[in-house]
Amino acid sequence: MNFAHFTLMYLWVAPHVLLVAVALLMWFRKLHREFPIFFSYLLFEILLFGVLFTMYFLGIRDLRYVRADMAGQMGSIAFRFAILQELFEAPLANNMPLRRALARTLNWTAISLVVLSAGFIGSIYYSILNPRIFPQYVIIEALNTAQCGLLMLVFYWHGFLGLRMSPFVFGIALGMGMVAGFEPIRQALNDAVGNQHFRAVAIAQMVIYHVVVILWLYYAQVREKGTDDSKIAVPQLLKEAAELRRITSL
Amino acid sequence: MIPLIILALAAFLFLLFLLFQVWSRYSYPGEGTPGPQLTTIDLDAFENLTDPEEEGYLRLQLSPAAFRKAQRLRIRAAKLYVATLSRNAGMMVAVGQSVRRHPEAEIAASGQELMQRAIQLKVWCMLSSVRLNVAFLFPGLLSPSNAIASRYLTVKYMAASLSSKLAA
Repeated sequence: MNFAHFTLMYLWVAPHVLLVAVALLMWFRKLHREFPIFFSYLLFEILLFGVLFTMYFLGIRDLRYVRADMAGQMGSIAFRFAILQELFEAPLANNMPLRRALARTLNWTAISLVVLSAGFIGSIYYSILNPRIFPQYVIIEALNTAQCGLLMLVFYWHGFLGLRMSPFVFGIALGMGMVAGFEPIRQALNDAVGNQHFRAVAIAQMVIYHVVVILWLYYAQVREKGTDDSKIAVPQLLKEAAELRRITSL
Repeated sequence: MIPLIILALAAFLFLLFLLFQVWSRYSYPGEGTPGPQLTTIDLDAFENLTDPEEEGYLRLQLSPAAFRKAQRLRIRAAKLYVATLSRNAGMMVAVGQSVRRHPEAEIAASGQELMQRAIQLKVWCMLSSVRLNVAFLFPGLLSPSNAIASRYLTVKYMAASLSSKLAA
């Protein structure tokens, strides 16, 4: 095994091993109850890796492998949309009417973003892409672009509500943003550098995914800053109480 | 090549946006920076501005053109009130969020409740603002709603109760 092969194997295996650690940490901190879809996504990614890794080592590298990989990618994209909805709904706790209204709004926003992105990307690639791969390419790019747009809305939504994102929500959003945001850059690099450097671009993408998983691991163990720090909590709370009394007494 | 550059540039800007989010999360205001303050709101005046009876009276007394002019002025003032209500709601969301981790379960529950109510109020403020904008465009057709005032009162009383518990 040469160094390049070892690096590729490491970058393929290590993030998924770390994903197991993220899932375990979520389980022990009971975060899986708060973020069931993200937890399911982690399990899905681990399972998918298990299947693909086994196929690779059994020498199944034909069309069946490609199909399994494609199915996995589609599953990941679907999961990411569901996770985005989970991030939007995170501040609403058990407020069901508001959650339902938000879900409906979000569905329409997502559809609009996908259609707009598909139109934009389709118009850009219409003349330069092979017609055989054009539809798949446009769909995948449009879905990625829509996810970037929705992620921006997640940040603005929390800002609008005046909420500080919980560390794990922030970590998930940041990680997903890095993965979705790098995708168009990867495509551009692939087209720019040609086939001989395809592996370097793939490695860059794997490195980013590795960093993202480390981020998730970090944010899964960070606790939300609140009033549990007694040194700063009491004066801060008293100040807030005084401010509330000032406004409510008038 | 140019289309690819456009897409890559858009993606790069998005990554910069993420970087800005990280920066703004971990950059703290200086020691001397005053924190945001709640603003007192005269709810009676707001209710008066959005009172349907008052609107009906003006409609009867004024010519259509004069009514539209007066109504636009009233709506403009009401929009300022809603913006302040929204700002206050945002601050109460932040207060509720910080209090919900309080070691005392009762206070923590009150903080959580305040946060949820304030979030609802914030969303109502947004919807109310949209309605006011439409009413501003068509003052003769759509009337502003004052339902938000009672919701604000509910949140205000919850905040008052929470502040008493915290001060105790």
